[in-house]
Amino acid sequence: MLPNYYQYFCPVKILSGKLAVSNIPYEMGLLGCKRAMIVTDKGVVSAGLINNVKQAFSDSDSEIGCIFDEVPADSSNIIANKIADLFKKNNCDCFIAVGGGSALDSAKGGNIVVSERTDDLLKLQGVDKVTANLLPLIAVPTTAGTGSEVTKVAVIYNEDTKSKMAFMSDKLYPHIAVIDPKMTMTMPPKITAATGMDALTHAIEAYICLQKNPIDDIFAITAIKLIKEYLEIACQNPKDETARMAMANAALFAGIAFSNSMVGMVHALAHSMGAVCHVPHGVANAVLLPWCLEYNLDKVPELIAQLSPILGDNKTYSNDKDQAESTIFIIRNLLNNLNRITGLPTKLRDAGVTEEKLQAAAKGAINDGAVLYNPKEVCFDDALEIYKKAF
Amino acid sequence: MILGIENTLDIIRKIPINQTWAKYKLVDITFSFIGAAFEEVSKLSKEFKEEISDWNDERRIGIGVLPKGPYITLEKKRDQVFVVGKGLYSTEVVFLFKNLDSAVMVFTAQMSSHQAVSECRILVDGNNAYAMELNRALSIVQKYLFPQFILNMIFKRPPVLTKRQLIIKARVYAALLPALYRLRNKLKSIY
Repeated sequence: MLPNYYQYFCPVKILSGKLAVSNIPYEMGLLGCKRAMIVTDKGVVSAGLINNVKQAFSDSDSEIGCIFDEVPADSSNIIANKIADLFKKNNCDCFIAVGGGSALDSAKGGNIVVSERTDDLLKLQGVDKVTANLLPLIAVPTTAGTGSEVTKVAVIYNEDTKSKMAFMSDKLYPHIAVIDPKMTMTMPPKITAATGMDALTHAIEAYICLQKNPIDDIFAITAIKLIKEYLEIACQNPKDETARMAMANAALFAGIAFSNSMVGMVHALAHSMGAVCHVPHGVANAVLLPWCLEYNLDKVPELIAQLSPILGDNKTYSNDKDQAESTIFIIRNLLNNLNRITGLPTKLRDAGVTEEKLQAAAKGAINDGAVLYNPKEVCFDDALEIYKKAF
Repeated sequence: MILGIENTLDIIRKIPINQTWAKYKLVDITFSFIGAAFEEVSKLSKEFKEEISDWNDERRIGIGVLPKGPYITLEKKRDQVFVVGKGLYSTEVVFLFKNLDSAVMVFTAQMSSHQAVSECRILVDGNNAYAMELNRALSIVQKYLFPQFILNMIFKRPPVLTKRQLIIKARVYAALLPALYRLRNKLKSIY
């Protein structure tokens, strides 16, 4: 059924497949760029992934102006300012972000500083506050989960106010997303599992939340199918190029879906769990997803039920509730299998969470904007109850 | 007989005056009601006082319509909320409707605020956590301001008021007209 109203926008050119990275210099030419700044982190450099990008420039008339490889786990305003300074000093004309969500968000932050000609990012946080046309950004993800390569969001930590700033603007979409299986091949199985569950959460929340739309539904369904088929394979056999490619694409599709449809309470609770207990985002999403679906079961049983055949359930059901429960059962099974294969936690306590921190996390969760898009109202007591169940 | 919302809107639509002016006035008057309701509910409701207890003192919040208003700014002082004025005055967070049509739909209960958010008709200018806190405070005010049948339409989980809350609601209703009168005088003295 169509919603009364919806908006959809995704202007990102996608290059997906073997040796996609090799096309970066050519694409830079199409964008009118000659000198790129690479934004990445030490992990990507030590895994040798940056060499794949460097190699692509060896027979090209475009060049790498500089490489910034000091992106931390959480990008910050100070890092964004450093990136902008280096960018200007080296006369670069575009950004290439290579890494996970943090590298991409840092490049987006640096791009805002350069293009908006400001060093005060605080003024630009919020929705549609970034209005300048940003310089070309080419995103090369090395994880398959965040979907940052196709989203209009950047989350940057403010070192001065000690809080996370969220930027949301159509200007923040990267110009190009480069999905190359070679770039995710070195990801360890546990991170593959966590980021894969992150992508699954993006797709499922995009499919059931209030801002869902028919275009994103297509992306979400495709992502869920791919994850169901390939996530366990990618964890069991990290060198399986087909599985890596499928998971990278699944994360991309899920990213497109949630960038327009937004996410719901799983993300709200996971964000807060990350802030209070430092649980990795993908792990928190993985643990909380089945509990939150169960919470939403009475509000959108038909939507959760529609996911069961996509997740491989061939049975027929007499009512939506039973079928929706089957969806949740399949997801729990997937989580347990990933736990067996990779050691991915299935409970919050296994992820290092202590019970006394649950209250603080619940307080943070209800202040997260994602709860607005959840089909069912979430108050402090509800959030705490779910944390306790998942503990 | 009480007119239905659709009938009322039909009448409004047929008024032979500038439509934009009418919408502007409707939203502006609603903001006055909301402002007065914020002041009264923050005086009477324990639940509201508890909700704003974490707000920093003198936090200024706003609600408005792009691009030309109307707007209203409210401020927390001690354990209450007061109207600062019609306009935006150094606000830390503002709920902005993208146009008058969206605001009219929400304020005539044709659309819930969460549906408006999910249809991208409202945007937040400022700190996201503050926006969520404002949203919860606004929900409490709505609970005491609107009759139950409207609450059933605009809330994801419609509140069921206890006897005590119903008494507070009656007191808010009784205090609303004098509060509007005071607000009118206060705004007159500002402008």
